Amino acid sequence: MPDLAVDIALGWATLLLVAGGVLLLRANDALHRILALDVLVAIVIALLTILSYQRDVSYYIDAALALALLSLTATLVAARHVTRGGPF
Amino acid sequence: METAVDVAATAVLGLGLLLATIGLYGLLRMPGVFAQLHAAGLVTGPAVLLVLLASVATGRAEILTSAALVFLFVLVTSPLSSHAIAQAELRRGREDPDAERD
Repeated sequence: MPDLAVDIALGWATLLLVAGGVLLLRANDALHRILALDVLVAIVIALLTILSYQRDVSYYIDAALALALLSLTATLVAARHVTRGGPF
Repeated sequence: METAVDVAATAVLGLGLLLATIGLYGLLRMPGVFAQLHAAGLVTGPAVLLVLLASVATGRAEILTSAALVFLFVLVTSPLSSHAIAQAELRRGREDPDAERD
């Protein structure tokens, strides 16, 4: 891929991260916040992937994999916590 | 061949980021959790998958295998977390009828 395209994509993804931050700040209850964090993690995964294209190394995507794993558990448990008052 | 893959990967990367932008715009505009979930599905699913798909153009085996792993993982978990959030909102609405429904 051309370097310029990857650089632009990195900047774009960073702007999306800012928009996700605004979304998180505008959330007014727990479920909105969980949803905003889920979206933020998705953006960070995309950002790490683009970063690994830019630097031409693979370990940023491994970090993204760990983040995706943690995000799934966190979302499931937090969503359950909202309705049942506990994780189980 | 090399340039064709490059062009395709750049297009896929741009499309993924465009979908993420549209999804975030929807998230900022929509009021309720259910409506927001509709837009969030675009960001957590297709947008991330398309960005990961662009890894084909890097031509490096390590990046490709890691990206394939994340691709499969996101493919499975993105609907799971969306479903968990939707179910939580549904339950919350049932238990508390005075709560704001939108």
